[in-house]
Amino acid sequence: MRPIEFQILLSLATGERHGYAIIQDIQARPDAPLTVETGTLYRALQRLVEQALVRPAEPRRGQADDDDRRRYYAITPAGRRAASAEAARMASLVDRARAARLISGDA
Amino acid sequence: MRGPVPARTPWWCRGFDLLLRAFPAAFRDEWGADMRLTFAERVRTAEGAGGGTPWRLLLREFGTLLSGGLHERLHSNARRFQMVQLQDIRYAFRLLARSPGFTLLTVIVLAGGLGLSTFTFSFLHTAMIRPLPLGEGDRIVRIDPMVRGGMEAVDVADVAGLRASLATIRELGSYTGREVVVGRDGDRRVVDATVADPILFTVARTPPLFGRTLVAADAAAGAEPVVVLSYRTWEIGFGADRAVIDTHVALNGVSTRVVGVMPAGFGFPIASEAWLPLPAGTEAETTPGLQSVRLVGRLAPGVSHEAASAEATMVLRRAMAVRDTTVQREGLTVAVESFPAAQFGEERALVFTVLNLLAALILLLALVNVTNLLLTRANERIRETAVRLALGASTGRLVMQGMWETVILAVAGGVVGTAGAAAGLAAITRWTQANMEGNLAFWWVWRMDRVTILAAGAFVTVAIAVLGGIVARRVTRTNMREVMQDGSARSGSRKEGRLSRALVATQVTTVTVLMFFGVLSGVVARRIVTLDPGFSTVNLLQAGMEPAPARYSTAAARAAAFRAVHDRLGAHPEVDGVFLRRTLGNRLSDDGRFALRGSPSDGVLPTAHLRAVLGTLPTMGIAVVEGRALEEADDDSRAPVAMVSRSLALSHWRGRSPVGDQIRLAGVGDTLRWYTIVGVASDVPYGNPLSRDRSPDAIYVPLLQSDGPFAAVVIRYRTTEVAGREALMDSFGAVDPSLVPDGVQPQAEILRKAGLLATSVSQLFGACFAFALVLAMVGTYGLMSRSIGLRRREIGVRRALGASDAGVTRLLLVQGGRQVGVGTLIAAPILLVVGLGFQHFFPISGWLVATAAVLVSAAIVGLVLLATWVPTRKVLQVTPRDALWVE
Repeated sequence: MRPIEFQILLSLATGERHGYAIIQDIQARPDAPLTVETGTLYRALQRLVEQALVRPAEPRRGQADDDDRRRYYAITPAGRRAASAEAARMASLVDRARAARLISGDA
Repeated sequence: MRGPVPARTPWWCRGFDLLLRAFPAAFRDEWGADMRLTFAERVRTAEGAGGGTPWRLLLREFGTLLSGGLHERLHSNARRFQMVQLQDIRYAFRLLARSPGFTLLTVIVLAGGLGLSTFTFSFLHTAMIRPLPLGEGDRIVRIDPMVRGGMEAVDVADVAGLRASLATIRELGSYTGREVVVGRDGDRRVVDATVADPILFTVARTPPLFGRTLVAADAAAGAEPVVVLSYRTWEIGFGADRAVIDTHVALNGVSTRVVGVMPAGFGFPIASEAWLPLPAGTEAETTPGLQSVRLVGRLAPGVSHEAASAEATMVLRRAMAVRDTTVQREGLTVAVESFPAAQFGEERALVFTVLNLLAALILLLALVNVTNLLLTRANERIRETAVRLALGASTGRLVMQGMWETVILAVAGGVVGTAGAAAGLAAITRWTQANMEGNLAFWWVWRMDRVTILAAGAFVTVAIAVLGGIVARRVTRTNMREVMQDGSARSGSRKEGRLSRALVATQVTTVTVLMFFGVLSGVVARRIVTLDPGFSTVNLLQAGMEPAPARYSTAAARAAAFRAVHDRLGAHPEVDGVFLRRTLGNRLSDDGRFALRGSPSDGVLPTAHLRAVLGTLPTMGIAVVEGRALEEADDDSRAPVAMVSRSLALSHWRGRSPVGDQIRLAGVGDTLRWYTIVGVASDVPYGNPLSRDRSPDAIYVPLLQSDGPFAAVVIRYRTTEVAGREALMDSFGAVDPSLVPDGVQPQAEILRKAGLLATSVSQLFGACFAFALVLAMVGTYGLMSRSIGLRRREIGVRRALGASDAGVTRLLLVQGGRQVGVGTLIAAPILLVVGLGFQHFFPISGWLVATAAVLVSAAIVGLVLLATWVPTRKVLQVTPRDALWVE
């Protein structure tokens, strides 16, 4: 799984979001490693939709602070499993790095 | 009332829209609007935060849009291309499945052509070119002195000099072949051993299966006699018992320790069954003429065969000039070649090229026929092609669809053909191992290997290129309007007719050459199979006798040994007749030259087969026609005498008797003695039955008056072959226990083996040419049938205008004859070359070659005219009205 795809899944894991909200969420993280551009985001979204890890959510209408032309995206159960597996893999890597004293215990 | 003024689209939004076009349309449709919203919101937020145009953000966004868009477009195209190809492949499979007859026929024809080409190439490559299957086998070479084109052995006196001087060849070692008797009394077995410098095993880079190979200490003076066994000898002679190591076996009566067994399939240098050490003193010998050996070595890295050959020639010439200034060896060269190359001699490249060309002709024949089938099919679908073009299908797409059909057919044919070639190669290996056991070079193991698979791939690629090219040409030249207006599925254009005629001419040329080659090969094979040796082979056994040079170092000692063996055999109760002979010269080489005393010479001496003989001439079917026979008493103590054959007497002593005249054997260097002719012998043909030098022109001189290191001993036994073999063993052993009859074989067996090989080769050729003939017959009929079918409408018009059936038939036959004429004309120079080639290599007369050429051409003419006449009759059965109006 590419880092941008994991970041999107991570963002959608807490709830449905539109494109710009996803970018904001990713970039708001303290350890945000990425500068996400619009083209990059939507190419990744296309791949995730093709793999059925993400699905377009129902449009939200009638909310004052929202543009009803926006599309929202939601994580699918498969997407959640894939994100969990990837997170576990990363945790395991971190553990190994810690065991190898590449990072300190509280890092 | 004026509506609200629409807000002006900012420039960066227009820029975004422009760059969004880099993405494929499908992507834009799906994601474009949402992307635009996200982008606009992001830029506006940045504007609000920074209070100005966010240039850095815009730069990053635009750059990512462009590169991402192009990337997506590339992937999307690749995906679409794959999808289209997948569709086309499925379509091609469906079309082929719809016509199983066409598919099967095409695959069979292609499999035959491709399989034969692959088989022929692989067979010849293994036999002649493939490096020895040993470590760095491509660098292992044989070093053979050549005098006037003939291969000679190396005098041991030259070995030390060569080894010291040659920089291009390393690990130089000498070896010689010898048959040795392994075992004692009733449990004896003759094996072909190699007596070699232990360095031979270093050259071979092959470790023993177990035990050890020969080492330098084994060759030292006084060392314990040791032997290394081949896998086959160990298996057959010792029951594959591992305990054989360090046991002692009798070799020519001498107790010898077995020190090692080599792995299966190892027979270096050629077909060795055991290896004995060449005494170290042998190569230190400086007196010339005592022993000759063969040389083996490894090319230094980066050195070519030619460079090594040039250096070895220079070194050997210099060495010979230093040690013997009286001998002028004109034309001495040293050939440095791989073992497979040396085995086939100078004609290797020619044989390889010619046989591969013939195989390629069969492939060409197959391709011509498949082309015809594909074109017929393309014609049947021409209307469909035109409709698809009219509906907007691209020519490229239609070509690709045709190509896939061709690729599937060629690959299927290639797979079946290659499987057939693999089976053929395995069968050849089995056959040769069963029938040529012990005489087979160890590298002659035919099987599928990397080179064969690559060759098969190359042949399939050629087939795809040729067939695909023609199919593509047919599609690209489809005139949509013409086909649609014509309303006919045939569209018999002038260009189409030209292609059809070209195919017929190619077919005629190819099949004429193949048939001609087949007929001449058949004639040669038949001659070998039905060869008359000139004498009865009943109860005849032949063996070689080579007294060891160390023990028989003088001419008198050797003559005494030959005489003693002759006398012993003559007195043996089991022996009905005994005959010793040695070939001194042959009719078509310089060593067969002789001079007649008192005959004016124009500088060119006549030639004959020169044979030194001892014993009863009738044993070999030779009768005394005039004068007396050569006798045992005719030895060196008496004046030299000779007999000539009747045919030689008739050609050189016309109208008078040669008895009393004198001749000199100039070809063998015997220029001091005049031999007085004492008798005329009946004719017996000599010479290689495969060669043009087979002739009864012969001169016989007494073996005891002509010194030489060996002789062939022929006996006619009275009761059984076993008793005959024992008589040979006993008689040789009684004269000297170290004398062993070499290669004892019944004469009939020798002839049978020669005939067996010829029969098998002729059967193989027969099968190939039968396939070619069937292809030609079916193919020619198909081509003519198609060609005439294309003219159905024209024939209908001619008949409607009053042309008679006979007239139309005559017209088509004449036109068919014209195509045969063109094909035959193209074939004529090729036939000439093939005919001359056969005459050069085989004893075939010019008239026979000419007759074969005429008969083959006549047969092909008949075949094509018949193939024209039959479809013509069919077309004439259709009424002019139907021909004009019915599809």
